[in-house]
Amino acid sequence: MTPADQDSNRADVGSGTPPVIAPGHTFGSVTDKISAIVLTRKTPIGWWFGFLIAFALMNVMMVAITYLFVKGTGIWGINIPVGWGFAIVNFVWWIGIGHAGTLISAILLLLKQTWRTSINRFAEAMTLFAVACAGIFPIIHTGRPWLAYWLFPYPNTMGVWPQFRSPLVWDVFAVSTYATVSLLFWYVGLIPDLATLRDRSQSPIGRVVYGMLAMGWRGSARHWHRYETAYLLLAGLATPLVVSVHTVVSFDFAVAIVPGWHTTIFPPYFVAGAIYSGFAMVLTLAIPIRAIYGLEDFITLRHLENMAKVMLVTGLIVAYGYTIEAFIAWYGGNKYEGFMMWNRMTGPYAPVYWLLICCNIVIPQALWSRRVRTNTKALFVIAIIVNIGMWLERFIIVVTSLHRDFLPSSWGMYNPTIWDWATFVGTIGLFLTLLFLFLRFLPMISIAEMRAILPEAKVDEDLRVI
Amino acid sequence: MTSLRQTADQLIPELAPRQRQLLMAGGVGLAVSLVGLFFNPAQFLQSYLMAYMFVLGIALGCLALGMVHQLSGGAWGVVIRRPIGAAARTLPLLTLLFLPIALGMRHLYVWTDASLVAHDEVLQHKHVYLNVPFFLIRAAIYFAVWNALSYFLNAWSLEQDETGDPRIARRMQRLSAGGLLAYGLTITFASFDWLMSLEPHWFSTIYGVLILGGQGLSALAFLIAVLVWLSRRPPLDDIIAPEHFHDLGNLMLAFVMLWAYFAFSQYLIIWSGNLPEEIAWYLHRLQTGWRFVGLSLVLFHFVAPFCLLLSRAVKRQAQMIVKVALAVLIVRLIDLFWLIAPEFHTAGVWVSWLDVVLPLSLTAIWLGYFVWQLRGRAILPMHDPQFDEALGRILERAGERP
Repeated sequence: MTPADQDSNRADVGSGTPPVIAPGHTFGSVTDKISAIVLTRKTPIGWWFGFLIAFALMNVMMVAITYLFVKGTGIWGINIPVGWGFAIVNFVWWIGIGHAGTLISAILLLLKQTWRTSINRFAEAMTLFAVACAGIFPIIHTGRPWLAYWLFPYPNTMGVWPQFRSPLVWDVFAVSTYATVSLLFWYVGLIPDLATLRDRSQSPIGRVVYGMLAMGWRGSARHWHRYETAYLLLAGLATPLVVSVHTVVSFDFAVAIVPGWHTTIFPPYFVAGAIYSGFAMVLTLAIPIRAIYGLEDFITLRHLENMAKVMLVTGLIVAYGYTIEAFIAWYGGNKYEGFMMWNRMTGPYAPVYWLLICCNIVIPQALWSRRVRTNTKALFVIAIIVNIGMWLERFIIVVTSLHRDFLPSSWGMYNPTIWDWATFVGTIGLFLTLLFLFLRFLPMISIAEMRAILPEAKVDEDLRVI
Repeated sequence: MTSLRQTADQLIPELAPRQRQLLMAGGVGLAVSLVGLFFNPAQFLQSYLMAYMFVLGIALGCLALGMVHQLSGGAWGVVIRRPIGAAARTLPLLTLLFLPIALGMRHLYVWTDASLVAHDEVLQHKHVYLNVPFFLIRAAIYFAVWNALSYFLNAWSLEQDETGDPRIARRMQRLSAGGLLAYGLTITFASFDWLMSLEPHWFSTIYGVLILGGQGLSALAFLIAVLVWLSRRPPLDDIIAPEHFHDLGNLMLAFVMLWAYFAFSQYLIIWSGNLPEEIAWYLHRLQTGWRFVGLSLVLFHFVAPFCLLLSRAVKRQAQMIVKVALAVLIVRLIDLFWLIAPEFHTAGVWVSWLDVVLPLSLTAIWLGYFVWQLRGRAILPMHDPQFDEALGRILERAGERP
């Protein structure tokens, strides 16, 4: 660590930037405040209310998937020419949301951005839950999900071998690697906090469960040394994954020759879009959670403003992608490309396209204003709008590129059925169910890392290992 | 501390003779290459375009990195802010150096040939965009934007040096936010105009980003080389620490990966689509001797610097990182050679003597101008908001501070 950033968590003198942790906290108060949410505070009635709604929605998904297994993918709105409908739209949307966690945890850690500390834990949790939701869709979209393991290259007597030139196979590897590394990263980060919970828990069950999960953590210097090395290595491993996963998802589209899918800007623009939607989801969750649990001291306006800035930047990159795609569709002189873009802007899905432009490009420009970035209500609304906008973007990419292809005689429209909607809404239920359980049973902010950014924890920088 | 307030010229007397030598060498080189202009104007312009895009890439990359630093802050940018500013202030010279390209357009861009366009449906379609007046108007807009950004940022930086007013930093931040947006769009369309339209049928949406990433890499490699040079003589010899090179080395590694990511994405998508209007660009590169140039890019633009820059030791030692940085600058030039030359020599690799002399002389002239700009100001930005964070402790240790 350079001497440069020794004090990046203090309030920037004179510039009026809020600090990353409110003044007056000590090691004890931080630990008390965060662990009490899990251990001693009464479960708020609002938690039960939210959890039950989320659980009910999750059961909608269960019903929808059960019916799908009975009847097959014919219950969805997909057909020729639109063979990729909600399943792929939702897959890309969820996977995109799952990017913020790793970005916050790994890249911001490597960039020495200490403000990440209070948001990384639940952003990582959110990533895992989003990836879990995303993973469901391609599997059930295969039509015979019980044979999904055929995607893996394993020796078998059937002579079946995956088509390695297909990005759909790369997806299997990219997403499963991402899920594994994210899970490990999250769990390793949790270990010191699990030990804190083990030591503080009043109930025998809590002591046993947290104790097993803490893997014998005693907080010795050697433990910390190994922990920090492992954490840094995992961060290094996770960093390329932030880029690789959504790049492979963009290849799902771009290596095909369908106009609207086949374009070289897709990889970076998909990655930017993923981070955009990921941060929008973190804000959507962080703003109510900090208000309900009274965590304004830990998740300060500084965090919200920084996340809003990341959203602004990635949103502008996405806007750049739209612009260049539209320009080249004309410049290229290919009439199918040109028609595809014209059809997007003026065809039957034009309202969806313009709504997407509005949600993703026009409205988020409000984030240029500092007043908007520090106004939690405005930020919450914009974050939700961006979530919607990013879903619409994937809908436009998937559906408008397919529904009017090379032969006008085979044109058609895509109409999602009730089962499409049920599955989609159901995965939101699954996501929220997991999130509510996480908030109840695990510390949503990293206690150990929060203690490390307190003034009490200042050590001579020359003695630091990382 | 008082000593650091003096201009670089007073502190580093070596700069003035270096500037003279560079300008003289560049002038001689340019004079020699005028022979080439006389005998083979087309080849002269092809080599000139490559040399020009190379130095322009360094200057614009520096301008953009400077704006990124205004917004992101961070210790890495403080020590290189003055070279960044000096490189950005070369933009008036680069505007002037664009004239040969504007005057020699018909040797470079086939779409300027009306008889060819008349028989080509696609080129007729593109004529609204690819025509001489609009091309020149666009170039004028790009240069106006770049010069304006460089002018205001540098003027305010000087004001910041003199007054230390913290409001100036805010103002520079605001301009940098819009400036980066403007840079992203202008460099994209400039790369479409000046490089992509060399093959007017071909198109690739990632092209602008690829050029942008290359410029960032060129600028970082150049800044590391300059910083190493400065760190070998007073007054910066006891101020520049291994940490500074480490941070910049990490950034260079990031840009090496970014460039490779963009270049590979473009290749993979076009290769797998295999559409006639797109694959042509790769066909006359990969089915001729040019493929070896491509292979050398894979090895030396990505694999070698990537492996070297993973090492902490390489990044922290001035004499190691400077070698990597200079090598990166050379492969940046080869990358531009790969983008430009195969358009004109479709049969196989062809290296003209102008491909060597022109980049060298243009770079020498540009460097001389850069040194001249560097001389006029203090070598460290004392009133940068991150100055204390980045250098306070080091200056205290070195006794530079009361």
